[in-house]
Amino acid sequence: MINANLKNSYAADERVLNNTYKQMFVYGMMIVLALFTFFANDYMILIASQMGILLIAVVGINILTGYTGLVSLGHGAFVAIGAYSVTIFANLAEGIIPAGVMPFFAMPFAVALAALIGVLVGLPSLRVKGLYLAVATLAANFIVIFLIEEDLFQPWTGGMVGLTTHAPNFFGWVLDTKREMFGMIAVIGFLALLAAQNLIRTRIGRAFIAIRDRDYSAEILGISLLRYKLTSFALSAAYCGLAGALLAYFFARILPEQFELTLSLNLVAALIIGGMGRSMGPVFGVIIVVLVPELIKVLFSSAVGGSASAAQFRAPLQEIAFGLLLVLFLLKEPLGINQIVDRILRAANRWPFARG
Amino acid sequence: MLNIENLHLSFGGIKALQGINFEAREGEITGVIGPNGAGKTSLFNVISGFYAPGQGRVSFGGRDITTMSPDKRAALGVARTFQNIALFRGMTVLDNIKLGGHTRLQTNVWQALRYFGAAQREELELRREIEERVIDFLEIDHIRKFPITMLPYGLQKRVELGRALAMRPKVLLLDEPVAGMNREETADMARFILDVQEQFGTTILLVEHDMHMVMDICSHIVVLNFGQQIASGTPAEVSKDPAVIEAYLGAAA
Amino acid sequence: MGQFVQFAINGVMAGAIYALIAVGIVSVYKATKVVNFAHGYLIMFGAYFYFTFSVIIPNQPWAPEWLLSWQPDWLVAQKADLPMFSPMGAVLDWVSNLPRIVLGLTGALIANAIVGRIIERVLMRPLMGQSVFAMIMVTVGLISIMSGTASLIWTADAANVPFLSPSAPVKFEAFGTTIFLLGTDLVNMVLALLMFAAIVAFVKFTKGGIAIRATAEDQSTAYSMGISVPKVFSRAWVLASTTGAIAGAILATRNGISPSLGLFGFSVLAIVLMGGLDSYVGVLIAAMTVGVLEAMTQWKLGGSWAEIVPYVAVLIVLIWRPHGLMGQKEVERI
Repeated sequence: MINANLKNSYAADERVLNNTYKQMFVYGMMIVLALFTFFANDYMILIASQMGILLIAVVGINILTGYTGLVSLGHGAFVAIGAYSVTIFANLAEGIIPAGVMPFFAMPFAVALAALIGVLVGLPSLRVKGLYLAVATLAANFIVIFLIEEDLFQPWTGGMVGLTTHAPNFFGWVLDTKREMFGMIAVIGFLALLAAQNLIRTRIGRAFIAIRDRDYSAEILGISLLRYKLTSFALSAAYCGLAGALLAYFFARILPEQFELTLSLNLVAALIIGGMGRSMGPVFGVIIVVLVPELIKVLFSSAVGGSASAAQFRAPLQEIAFGLLLVLFLLKEPLGINQIVDRILRAANRWPFARG
Repeated sequence: MLNIENLHLSFGGIKALQGINFEAREGEITGVIGPNGAGKTSLFNVISGFYAPGQGRVSFGGRDITTMSPDKRAALGVARTFQNIALFRGMTVLDNIKLGGHTRLQTNVWQALRYFGAAQREELELRREIEERVIDFLEIDHIRKFPITMLPYGLQKRVELGRALAMRPKVLLLDEPVAGMNREETADMARFILDVQEQFGTTILLVEHDMHMVMDICSHIVVLNFGQQIASGTPAEVSKDPAVIEAYLGAAA
Repeated sequence: MGQFVQFAINGVMAGAIYALIAVGIVSVYKATKVVNFAHGYLIMFGAYFYFTFSVIIPNQPWAPEWLLSWQPDWLVAQKADLPMFSPMGAVLDWVSNLPRIVLGLTGALIANAIVGRIIERVLMRPLMGQSVFAMIMVTVGLISIMSGTASLIWTADAANVPFLSPSAPVKFEAFGTTIFLLGTDLVNMVLALLMFAAIVAFVKFTKGGIAIRATAEDQSTAYSMGISVPKVFSRAWVLASTTGAIAGAILATRNGISPSLGLFGFSVLAIVLMGGLDSYVGVLIAAMTVGVLEAMTQWKLGGSWAEIVPYVAVLIVLIWRPHGLMGQKEVERI
């Protein structure tokens, strides 16, 4: 199975899908996704949509943590900012901007606002590293959620009761079914993944990795730490903001508690499980993080039936499983599923001449 | 080209550098030597902008760069390698070298996210230049796709030189380029350094312990001891200087 | 002014408890360079253990009666003569609760020490020498595991845990207003500060403490000098979990027990970073400052704003002093 990997131009060598297997896989996946959109049942659409939304956010975390090496435990806040600003913008601009083009204004606004606040939250990253940054972002998460819940802003944010988001309307086409919504999420998610991949094969992405690997050495090459760390923060916040906007559209109802610490930790856990600093890492991670709790739910209800007293054990079990999964990956395979997949592919590629 | 004037640096009570004065002349190789702890690496750190000197001036091409941040100095054309290799271990050889071209590229975030168009043109142009000017030149085309961690020490040093070359530097600071290398690797590296000077006319400032190599390739040598500059001159002058002999062999000799 | 004094005292009392919790985070950090994000959940376990040993077990049918409420003849005789709500009555109530308080505290200490040991042995030790990031993320995973486990074990609502000390009210006059305090809060504060001081003294002066500091300085050198680094690790975790048990018992009597106790740990984490991770003095200052600031916020802006005080404070301090009030900056060699 050893394959020739011959190229005769630099352009061919710099492609994202630089061999036939990758091309076959990605184009194949696109066809599968298209078919899925039309033929999957409602339950599958729901799960897949959740994955898509989470994927966009995790791709953002990957830019920040995986590539730039800055740890954030507070990116749930940016998902919240995206979700709330897309809704509040639409509420305030109702009547001023026609409904048919509202998403074209509301979504960029949400993304831009998230990016802007991302820069603000990123400011401590210029002076503090690692752990201090993790706690600073965690603090920011608590503050943002608090402000959303606070009575003072209740007229806009709805406080603890949350808000209702109208379904997006593209020139009169209202995405009022989950299936249509999934189509939109899939397209945006794919583009977001591709854009992140583009980013890291250019000077910006290389600068991020340089800062992660050895920051003083990056400076010596003319990379301004200030600029690139803030850029990384802004980009990751923008991705999370986009995920938030889609989340608001998809669930049509947003509550502050959806965006608390649990979400932030979920995002980081998904990245670790999938593989940090690897392009497919977020994809693998999100699949696991969404599927495992669902699987437990299904297994659990088939094991104990519908009894209410047993049902109260389900949520704790899901929580424990999630924690165990994260810990197991950190102990056994810190490079995540991506590494496992790579190993298998490498072995398959060399077979039958060598193993491993 | 690169002028050091009356440079002083101290950490708390320790005087790391006291009154250093010399010039790295354009297109020449200047060597900085001295026993361990003489302040050679500190001098490099001041020149590349990691330490702010307590007193004195660093100027480059007539321009005062004493208070400039490291990344701005890099954009001006000051490149350096480190004593204990500072390559980016999570990247391939090619990506490491590409990083040398960072300041010359213009791609902004929007173009990078889209890639096709301006970003792609620029990336391909950079790739071509690096292949021709650095990878061929340093004879490392067989390892371009290797991750850094898979390379032996000598090749890592060469890649680090390559990364500095990709910056198209006007002055190149080499901190112990042949430390820990065997004879053959040392000879290779010395040849590459001379080639750089000849082909690109780069001004080179070199810290090294290997006396043979320093004497062979440098046209000018500065000797430091305990933070003080005890001699400077051509290799022949320096090797006869009594202060230098004392510093290296002790007073009794 | 009188109200100010009242709130300031409340703040100091809360600050002392913050300091006691923070000591666990700092000790583990000093020895192992790991910042335990799950420390709040360790405290929650302490609180639940205290509840288990001081309420659930004494209420079991097989438990002896004196365990639930100790009523020796002299106590009954004394009580009979007292008027309602007298301070002496509070003391006597406490005495009759004493058996289950002692059982509760001992049980919580031992059980939490075991939990700390297990965490160190199973999760942290295999990661020795790995990146700090991995170790921190393991403690993040631990958050989910512990919070899930707690809701599996303790399904009943926790209520009515006995106070650690007599809860007689203490009143005095200051600036024309009556300052009102609970005796038990005062005792809690003293207890917390004493434990804080004891731990600082332990780390400063005893051989075990010096081993912890040496390990903090340089793990591999400490190892090669004959210090058993794994032992230091487990000692630090046991220290953190036992102080956490006491803090948990105190918090259980103050705020009741609920899963949100775990979240409390995050505000203490903010305090620790504010003080500077490896400095006990800095952390004590930060804990007191945040305690008082919280009380003042509660007074002026209302209770809900108080909950973000630690987070706002830590952000301000980190921007102004990136390594906290008293933290050491790590020097990087190039």
